[in-house]
Amino acid sequence: MRTRGDLATGYLFVLPVVVSLAVFLIGPIIYALYISFHHFSFLAPDQATWAGLSNYTKLFHDPRFIRALGNTSLYSLGVVPIQIAIALMLALIVDSKIKGKTLFRVVYFLPTVTSTVAVSVMFMYLFKNDGLVNLFLSKAGIPTFDWFNSLTFALPAVMGMAIWTTVGQFMVIYLAGLQDIPQELYEAAEVDGATPWQRLRFITWPMLKPTTFFILIMSIIGTFQVFDQMYVISKGEGGPQDRTLTVVFYLYRSAFKDFDMGYASAMAFVLFLIILLLTVIQRKFFKEETN
Amino acid sequence: MKKKNVITGILATTLAMTALVGCSSSTSDTSDKGSTSGDKFTLRVGGWSSSPQEQAMLDKQIAGFKEKHPNIDVKFEPVVGDYLQKLQPMIASKTEPDIFYLDANVAPDFMDKGVIEPIDDLVKKHNVNLSDYEDAAVQAFQWNGKTYGLPKDYNTLALFYNKEMFDKAGITAPPKTWDELKTDAAKLTKDGVTGFSISAELPRYQPFLVQAGGSVYTDGKPTLNNPANTTALDFIYKDMMGKDKIAAYPKTLGVDWSGDAFATNKAAMVVEGSWLIPHMAQKAPNTKYGIAELPVKEGGKPSNMIFTVAYALSKNSKHKDDAMDLMAYLTGTEGQKVTVEGGLALPTIKAMGKEYSTKYPEREAFVKGASYAQPFQYGVIGSKLTDAANKAAEAIVLGAQPDGKAALEEAQGKLK
Repeated sequence: MRTRGDLATGYLFVLPVVVSLAVFLIGPIIYALYISFHHFSFLAPDQATWAGLSNYTKLFHDPRFIRALGNTSLYSLGVVPIQIAIALMLALIVDSKIKGKTLFRVVYFLPTVTSTVAVSVMFMYLFKNDGLVNLFLSKAGIPTFDWFNSLTFALPAVMGMAIWTTVGQFMVIYLAGLQDIPQELYEAAEVDGATPWQRLRFITWPMLKPTTFFILIMSIIGTFQVFDQMYVISKGEGGPQDRTLTVVFYLYRSAFKDFDMGYASAMAFVLFLIILLLTVIQRKFFKEETN
Repeated sequence: MKKKNVITGILATTLAMTALVGCSSSTSDTSDKGSTSGDKFTLRVGGWSSSPQEQAMLDKQIAGFKEKHPNIDVKFEPVVGDYLQKLQPMIASKTEPDIFYLDANVAPDFMDKGVIEPIDDLVKKHNVNLSDYEDAAVQAFQWNGKTYGLPKDYNTLALFYNKEMFDKAGITAPPKTWDELKTDAAKLTKDGVTGFSISAELPRYQPFLVQAGGSVYTDGKPTLNNPANTTALDFIYKDMMGKDKIAAYPKTLGVDWSGDAFATNKAAMVVEGSWLIPHMAQKAPNTKYGIAELPVKEGGKPSNMIFTVAYALSKNSKHKDDAMDLMAYLTGTEGQKVTVEGGLALPTIKAMGKEYSTKYPEREAFVKGASYAQPFQYGVIGSKLTDAANKAAEAIVLGAQPDGKAALEEAQGKLK
């Protein structure tokens, strides 16, 4: 039987979290929603005027937003599958009985804990016109490119960087998933004479499904929110020719460079709806698969 | 039971809110103290963090002010990272410093929305004479007949040229015209050196554009598609860079800005401001170089740009009079003496400009440039216009647009 005192104690315990969520998360979100329906500048919040849906309709007529959305989708399409494939492969390798696997685990995980800015600066040096990558390419007789200043290669170069940085994190999650698979399944399969490929195809992969679902969602959300890499590499411009401009990047520019916080907030909510939609679709898809 | 939950929840939230409100009001209480003279109080100065040399100069200026006003403590609060991103929330929450740096390029947004204090009355009260300042620099901070800031220093553009490379190529004097620029650049392009480097940015190419009769912003409207504008863009980015390969934009040379291309001997001539001088002293102290006025198009008028930063006064300052004193001191004769000695930028007080010319005769191109310069400012659409115009030049370099005409039409289209 709960008493009044128990109840109060309980609330007291959750109070810090409730308060900090309300103040730093829910409050700002509601305020951002309010802002998104106004012509609103951070310079003069008291001069805000009602804009109705105009911020939202403007988005779909803004070629720069369309380009940003296109870049982000392309980035996500490129990064997510490759990232998952490599993460799974690495997890399988470091889970097997090879020598020095602890070292490999550390090496693959290291980029994840390195700051994005540091990684970006490092990649800028590697992919410079007279950088290390081009040096190797020219030695091997392959044509070189000015990667981050090329209309074609700027975005793929950033994708490569993103894959390299985040693959370690997903490898660790896969590793945890692999270690959760009961060993008996493999033993039984071996008795039945299953080949290593069959074991992978019919035991490991299905058993990893929940892990893959989790990684897929995290990866998609992460790629749709990409910002820092592009910001550092293009020096806050999104160049060349908006080729590395992503939705969050454009949102940031609208808010703080063009002084249009209302428009930026509308962009944030459109991005939120896109991510929500993608997650719901995947959830449905995966549920049907597992049933 | 359920109802009780809700009530407790509401109570908890209200409690939290009151706690927060209590917090914020108590902080403003403390800053209220000492507004009357005699008490010791603090004036906050906001700015972006810059080079150690510039910081040392500001420290010296502030120390000079403190000596005269022992009851005022002046605290510089540098913003590391994006200045505007930090400043805007501070203004929105009324916690901005008493005076702060404001770049002319973004100033119209601040002046138009009236979020900074017009200083005309204070200027009169404190016997500051606006006509002592360079006219273009003051005008950059005037809007609808009101003045919103005192310019602290400025910069213009000039042509930096490498004397050793000039000697080797048998060129005796820096180019004065576009034709000379082209022939010199061709002669200088050899052995891994590119004759001329200029970034694909409006704040570098605009003088060339205006020389050829073009314009960027007239009567409050963008005029990027002015037919005369294409000449300069085609000349620099299509012909010299694209076709003849006697010029390059810094990124193709593997550096971030043309100043670095100059310091690392990758380019023989660059267009930059006097900020390149300390950079050269640090990175390439042994390079012998000269500074000349920008080459002018045959039959065209000389043109230049003025980049200036002012101290703006916060609307919410509790010590507007004292803050004005500080602004007047920092931008006044005594404050700008330090600017002249530091030599990073040019003084905005006309009389001090003469001192600068005598002290650094080799840098007179910057002072001369100021006399025919236009401020780097395009009203409230400044950031969008600059972005579109930068991309236009970049589009030609990268081959995304065939020529200046198409690139500028596209840029103008973005500004509707």
